[in-house]
Amino acid sequence: MKKTPVILTVLLAMALVSCDKPNRYGNLSVGIDYSVNGMPLMTDSLCYHNEAGNTFMITEIQWFLSHMELQDTQGKWNPIGTFYIDTDIPESQTLRMAPVPVGHYQTLRFTFGLNEEDNLSGLYSDPPESNMFWPEPLGGGYHYMKLNGRYVNEAGELAPLNVHLGIGQNADHSEYYQNYFTVEGPIDLDVAENKDHLIRLSMTVDNWFRNPNLYDFNVYGSAIMQNQAAQQALKENGQDVFTWTFFEEPNEKDMKKEELAEEFNNAMHKAAPKPHFWNWKSVKERLKGKNPADTSRQSEEK
Amino acid sequence: MTKRIEKWLCQMLVAILAIAATSCKPEEPQYAPTPYDLQQPSYFPTRNNIPDDNPMTVEGVALGEKLFHDPRLSGRDGTDGIRCCASCHHREHNFEYGAPIHTHHAMLPLVNLAWNRTGLGWNGGVATLEDMVLAAVTSPVEINADTNQVVKYLQKTDDYPTLFFKAFGSRDITFINIERAVAQYVRSLVSADSKFDRYLRGEAQLTEDELKGYELFCTEEGADCFHCHGGGGLALMTTNLFYNNGLDDEFNDPEDRSSITGSHWDRGAYKAPTLRNIAVSAPYMHDGRFTTLDEVIDFYSEGVKDSEYINPLMHHVMDGGVQLTAVEKAQLKAFLNTLTDENFLNEP
Repeated sequence: MKKTPVILTVLLAMALVSCDKPNRYGNLSVGIDYSVNGMPLMTDSLCYHNEAGNTFMITEIQWFLSHMELQDTQGKWNPIGTFYIDTDIPESQTLRMAPVPVGHYQTLRFTFGLNEEDNLSGLYSDPPESNMFWPEPLGGGYHYMKLNGRYVNEAGELAPLNVHLGIGQNADHSEYYQNYFTVEGPIDLDVAENKDHLIRLSMTVDNWFRNPNLYDFNVYGSAIMQNQAAQQALKENGQDVFTWTFFEEPNEKDMKKEELAEEFNNAMHKAAPKPHFWNWKSVKERLKGKNPADTSRQSEEK
Repeated sequence: MTKRIEKWLCQMLVAILAIAATSCKPEEPQYAPTPYDLQQPSYFPTRNNIPDDNPMTVEGVALGEKLFHDPRLSGRDGTDGIRCCASCHHREHNFEYGAPIHTHHAMLPLVNLAWNRTGLGWNGGVATLEDMVLAAVTSPVEINADTNQVVKYLQKTDDYPTLFFKAFGSRDITFINIERAVAQYVRSLVSADSKFDRYLRGEAQLTEDELKGYELFCTEEGADCFHCHGGGGLALMTTNLFYNNGLDDEFNDPEDRSSITGSHWDRGAYKAPTLRNIAVSAPYMHDGRFTTLDEVIDFYSEGVKDSEYINPLMHHVMDGGVQLTAVEKAQLKAFLNTLTDENFLNEP
């Protein structure tokens, strides 16, 4: 009988202790950037070269990054989200997410594209995501990525370039292949309460076209939605396309995340060599009469 | 005594007359608009362009429909007052004219525009349907009206003040409310019952040729139409975006997409129109240069021209087009014909 007050006191103390530690959160954004040949991406500029010697330009990159997660020191994966990212939509380059629990995170992982559980026709009914649909005869669902541009082909012409990744299929469409892949790697991220944190996620575009497979636009051609060999090569090359860096909150507490991202971008752009811009007529003139085999790199020489 | 009775009778008569007069007075209509239920299939977008200050109502749509078909929208009478929206926008032709017309551009269909959020017109330069009404009413090559005159004219009519009251709560007609009413009507024009819709809903089967045509439509190695004109996963049958599709290799149109964006990369780019009811939407392209679907298919098959401005999605340009056989052209056309919504086109 005398024990009752003691038990009640203990229970009350436990309740108070458990209430004493409410979940605490910090803010996290992920900024997306792109580099090609060590330079920040400049769209619509015929100034890039890949490992196979193709000269190319990029007009836009549109892609899905899904199931982004952070693993804490206890091994628990904390979901961050699924995102559509589009170089034509500036606001899509900064991924906003729900507050993240305070703590240390050691691993970041995400899926490039959409896995078979998510990649269902009709999942997105509104643009821009719905514009990514992948036709049912080709497997349905959505493009993982559209990378559009142009390249100088073997004939010395500027040919369209549509690097579109998604579900692959064999010749008679009797078999389909999932070409999404998971990217996972370490991150040393401390999320502090009510602080802003930024992960800078970078796509090194030229890595799509080398290691382990030399990807030659003249071999794979302008369009690859119905070319599983090309899809497979890009899937394998994609493993080292993404890198990331963690930025802590800047000293000035009132500095907004956008300003932090801008500061980072400015620093990158300042350090990068300046690309020269494509002039269609001069390129055509330069290409005229050249040996096609010589054009891929030489066409860009000033 | 008699005088008192007479006086009493007079008072009674006055009272009865007063009651009778009051009861005969026409009942003042109430401003209680009914929300309009915009019918759409589950596979259409969820986000539309209905502005907060112009919600669709049954009364607003009905008023818009009346205005759309009423030559008095020109603000003129007699032989000079014969133009209204419906003079050129014929339902049986997908709300286009159905023949070449002497305006500065070919027409675009007025269907499923409630889900168009990228600007109106071939270059996307008109932001809203409300703005489009103003543009069409005042354009010298369209209705060519004076908005003040239109308002004055409609205000004098017997019927319109009451209809405007029911739709917008005021008998005083304004051109803004005219724009709002017509825009509501145009937003109500939903075409979603073609054979292809019924196929998507599992209510009909396409023929073998139509299915082959659909496969051509949405494969890169086929006709590759889907990147710009949608398909099962994008059932508006357009992205509503702007492309240079290789019609020309020289560009002199001051009203192409580049006139809106200021980007020289948009030279020769125009909106990809919806392909819903495309079989009855001739003439085709922004300048109406093709009069039949066969000509359009021939162009995409063998007539595409390269230029620095052509969209990269036109990846068959190095071959001059998608190079379809005669059989494939017929199959593609068979599929395009499944996009015709007879119920919509023949609605009274």
